[in-house]
This record gives sequence, structure tokens and C-alpha cells, in this order.
Amino acid sequence: MGMQLWNHCENPYPFVPNEVLEQADSVRASLPNKYCDPEIAARLYDEVLDEYRLCDDIGINIVTNEHHSGINNLWAASPVITGVVARLTKNVRILSLGTLVTVRPDPVRVAEEYATIDVLSRGRLEIGFVKSGATEMVSGDANPMRIREREWEAIDLIEKSLITQDGPFSWEGKFFIHPHVNIWPRPYQQPRPDFWAATSDLPTCAELGRRGMVNTLLFGGYDRTRQAFEAYKTARTEARLPAPGEDRFSYMAFCYIGDTDEEGIRIGQKIAWFLTVSIKSAPQFSKFQPGAVAPEMAPAAWRTGASRRPRPTNLEADMLIGQGQMFAGNADTVTRQIKEFRRRVGGISHIIMMTRQGLVTHAEAERSFSRAAKDVLPQLQDLPPVDADEIEWLARRAAAAK
Amino acid sequence: MSGAAERLSVGPFELEVLRRKAKRPGAPLLLLIHGINNINNEAPFLDLLAEYGEIVAPSHPGFGASLRPPDFDTMYDLVHLYLGVVDALPAERIAMVGFSFGGWIAAEVAAAGHRKLDRLVLVDPVGVKLGGREERDIAHLFNTLPAELDRRAWHDPAKGPTGSYGVGWHSRIGDAMSDEEMVTLARNWDSLCLYAWRPHLYNPQLKNWLHRIAVPSLVLWGASDRIVTPDYGRAYAGLIPGARFVAIEEAGHHPELEQPRAFVERVAAFLDRSGPSP
Repeated sequence: MGMQLWNHCENPYPFVPNEVLEQADSVRASLPNKYCDPEIAARLYDEVLDEYRLCDDIGINIVTNEHHSGINNLWAASPVITGVVARLTKNVRILSLGTLVTVRPDPVRVAEEYATIDVLSRGRLEIGFVKSGATEMVSGDANPMRIREREWEAIDLIEKSLITQDGPFSWEGKFFIHPHVNIWPRPYQQPRPDFWAATSDLPTCAELGRRGMVNTLLFGGYDRTRQAFEAYKTARTEARLPAPGEDRFSYMAFCYIGDTDEEGIRIGQKIAWFLTVSIKSAPQFSKFQPGAVAPEMAPAAWRTGASRRPRPTNLEADMLIGQGQMFAGNADTVTRQIKEFRRRVGGISHIIMMTRQGLVTHAEAERSFSRAAKDVLPQLQDLPPVDADEIEWLARRAAAAK
Repeated sequence: MSGAAERLSVGPFELEVLRRKAKRPGAPLLLLIHGINNINNEAPFLDLLAEYGEIVAPSHPGFGASLRPPDFDTMYDLVHLYLGVVDALPAERIAMVGFSFGGWIAAEVAAAGHRKLDRLVLVDPVGVKLGGREERDIAHLFNTLPAELDRRAWHDPAKGPTGSYGVGWHSRIGDAMSDEEMVTLARNWDSLCLYAWRPHLYNPQLKNWLHRIAVPSLVLWGASDRIVTPDYGRAYAGLIPGARFVAIEEAGHHPELEQPRAFVERVAAFLDRSGPSP
């Protein structure tokens, strides 16, 4: 079993003065764009696209995503950036994770964009889906209610748009209407690029399992990730589908690989800006947003404040490493952490490294990627199968501890 | 917010209904159509208003204890439901009183018309787009800071009544609010969002059809309302043939909660002036 490493950069903008961020109700959706200097943005685009080119040369796959109207992410349109990456690179896989289909009014346009990128890249595209929510619903003016149903209908329509070769076909769904679907070009990969989705919601993981989509978790830690993958596997067993390979499982963590453990942890600590600063959000965009919590959960969420900002005490690099949310240290240490993670979640092929995040610089990011390709990735090839008995034992121990 | 146990069946739908018997014989039936939250059974204006009519106040699907069926999620559904409510009520003459979001429903129902409808009262209603494309007529309830909504919704937020929750209710979350109330508020908020996220609290076509309203109409407005301003209210009333606009002083978006006596006096005078029900 060989693992793959992926570079995920959200292209954050950590250049707004602190006093502005402190006074703002939210650093997403409502922070005026006068605080975004296009000269700085242009430099950031150059730097991150150069990092992608480096990754293409050294065998690290690339992930793009999108968020809107905030300091956390300058990729406002994942398909646009993915199209640029498709032409800049020649070798590696490219995952769009993803455009926000619950905000996009027409999934057929999304299918066209992805088919175009797949052809541009000669079949190197992977298509990812995220449910979205919170400030994204505000900046995209999309109803935050029923987004899960809307997401699945969008995925179904995108899939049918990609695989139908004798159209036009008609779609008159609950959320989307398109009476004449017939996209050109059709995708390069047949019948379509692989689908991924980011979720830790167990019923959703089960549905991914039945559909055979790649299930990726974001910073879920050991137990939540293992439970999610278990839900995926169980759903396949119950549906009498073949057991999934490890290539159906993916995990995103903060990651920094230094020359030494000290350097890895010191620079890794700079990534935590993502959690301490970039997700500050006003209550109407978070706990009070319709659909954010089930009504019966509202009293607990509202009384406690339910801020999505974690306490800074939980954000020390050592703590994040212990929770399985960060891989940091020298190359051997990170290799050991990733192998341990794979063992504890019951097998996984894809590790998505969030490295150029927060206050990590371009030069620092490139050094970590080079070390990942040279000293970590080779150690993650030809791995023995994960021990099924050991996974079962770990699951029982975790259940007993609760 | 609860306290009403009665139910009303309308076709396949069953609604929770709050009722007050009329305190004098021959009084008209008042169908109250609630705003962003179902009407609190303890709200002082109810007993005052019952002096002048029999009160029937259903909770919309997804509000209070009324279930929201699958696929019931548009103003179109609500308008047809309330036409069905008017059908289902035994009275032959009905005065409809719509508050805020419920004022929008009432205006839609009145524009559609019903033979049993004989009076219309709109209280700080939303539902029409009057200003230019870069002017916001109605504060965005879901995108605005709750504290700001609270400031705009009341003449005096500090005197907002306990137990009845209007716009800006999020700012009143505290020990005095029970878990049960919070669950209801959350259901109401989710349901309002389904019906009203986009366009936010209006039907772009409704202003073309308000001229069809053929019953005596009163448009009441809290003089201090900054969720939808009195100027919007005057223009709204101007689109309804013969409608009278009356401002209630020292009240914001919910004059029935903030100035219950003045509110009931205005409604009573209107019911009286526009003649007894035949």
C-alpha cells in the first residue's frame, strides 16, 4: 500500500491590522474589502502557484478550495484556480475540494467547469464536495436551510451531466431545474473524475460509502476519523458492496516538516492562526444561523455561546499533534505520526497537508514540501496492511473509555 | 409561548390554534396571522382584543406546535393554507389581522380574495419591495447582528415584554428563557428562513396586485419601527384601495406587544367605524 501526500493551501490573507480584526464582528462575510490590498493578493497568488509548480515537480498532489469574502481564503472560485493549476502542472493529481455547490445556482455550470478542467489537465482532476454553511451562505445569499438535501441533488445532477453522452437530458428537481443538459466538452476521464467529499457526519459518511466516494475528514482527530471511516465501511457491508480500499479514505491535518523536530514544531505553531484568528464569526453567521443546530440542540448551543473559536490553550502544537490534528517535526517524526494515524483510523491512503497557512511563509512552505517529497513520501510506500484485529481492539477501547 | 392546545384541520394539514372567545355576542371573528414567532398565549393584547371579537390564531407550519410537512416551504404554500383556514372557520365574516411576516401573508390572501373576508388589518407588515434596487426596505433578519435588530425593533428595547419574543429575540437569551422556549424559537427561526430567505421577506410581484384588495383595510405602524419604517408603511397603505394608515407612538415593530392598549384601541375603532359584521 502506498500513500499519497497532498498540498492544501487556502491562500490566507494575514495582513489586516490586528486592531481592525479585534473590532470586527466577523472576519468573514462582512469585513470590507478595502482591507484587501490587490498588490499583496497578487504576490500571494504568485507564491502559492509557484508552490504548486514545485509540488508538481516533486510528486505532491494539489488541493484547491474556495471560501468567500474573508481573510481566511483568497481562492474565491475553486474552478478558476484549479483551471490555472491544470495548465501550470503536468504530472500530479489535482483535487478541487471544492466549489460550494450549495451556493452555486446551477450545478450544470459546475459540471461544465470541471469537465473543462479535466480535459485541460488530461485527466488529472478529482472533484470534491463540501456542504458549506455559516458565512458562506450569507456571502453567497444561499438559503442555509436544507443544504444537505440541496448538496446531494447538486451532486446527482453534476454526476449525470458528466456521464451522459447521448443528451440532452432534462432535470426538474426539488432545488434545481435545467431542462436541456448537454455539456461540452465531456470529461477526459471515463466515465467521470473520481468524487470526494469532506464530512465527519456519520449518516453522510455512510452515503459516501454506498456511493464509493472518497471520504475526507478535516482535522477530525483519531477517534472521530475512525468512527467516520467505520460508518463508511459498515454502510458498504450492509449494502453488500465490496470492502473499500484505503484509497477511499483521506485526512487533512496541519503539517510542517522541519530539518529538526524543534523547527517543525516551531513553524507548525504558526499555522494555528487559522483557528485563532481566521474563523472569528458574528453570532448571526454562526450559532444563530437557521439550520446551524437542530432545534432541540439550540438551548445548549445558545446558552454556552457555542463559539466556533477554540480556546487558545488547545492550540499548542504539542496538543494538536497529540490529538492527531497536526503532523509536525522532522521527516522521520512526521512519517511516524502519519503511520500511527493510519494504524489508528484503520487504514488511509491520502494525507492532505495544510502547510502554507496562517503566518507560514512561502520559503518555509517550499522547504517543508521538499522534505515531504524527499524524506517522508518514500517511507510511506509499500506499507503492510493495517491489522484488522488491532483496529477492532482500538475501537472497543475507545468505546469503553466513554 | 405555548399554552394553546387546540388544533385546526385544513385539508391534510393540522395547525395548533390559540383561541379567545368573544366577550360580547355578535362580535366579529378575528383571524390573527402571526409574525416571526407564534403568538404567546399570555400576551396582554389578546384579552384586550377579545373585548371586540372572537380570536383565532393558528401557528404556521413549522412554528409553535404546528408540524411542517415535507416540501411545505414557500409563501405560495402559506397563502393557500390560509385561504383554506378561512374556508374551514365556521364564521361567514372574518377580519384578518396580520403582523410583520404574517402581515405579508394576510396581504397576499386579501389580494387573492375570499368571499368571507370583510376586514383587513396589517400591523407593520413586510411583503412588498418599494425602494430602489440599492435601497433595503426591510432589515435583513438573518444577516444583521442580533443586538442591532433588537435596537431597531423596539421603541424601548429595555422595556420589551418578557415571554413574548419579537425581532431581536436572540439578545434576550438568558436564564429567564426556558429550554422549551428556545426549542420553539429555533423551530420558528428555521421555518421563517425556509419561507423568507430570498427574496428576503417580500414577493416582487405583490405590489402589482394589492389594488385587488376589496375590503376595508387598516395599516397600523409602530412610529419607532426601524425594521420596516413608517414611510414604507405609508407607501404600502397607498397601494391598497381606501386603506387607512395609522402610526402608534412609542412602539416599534411590534405595537401589539409594546403598546397593547393603544393597539387594541386602534383596531377596535376600525372595526367599529367600518361597520358591524352583517
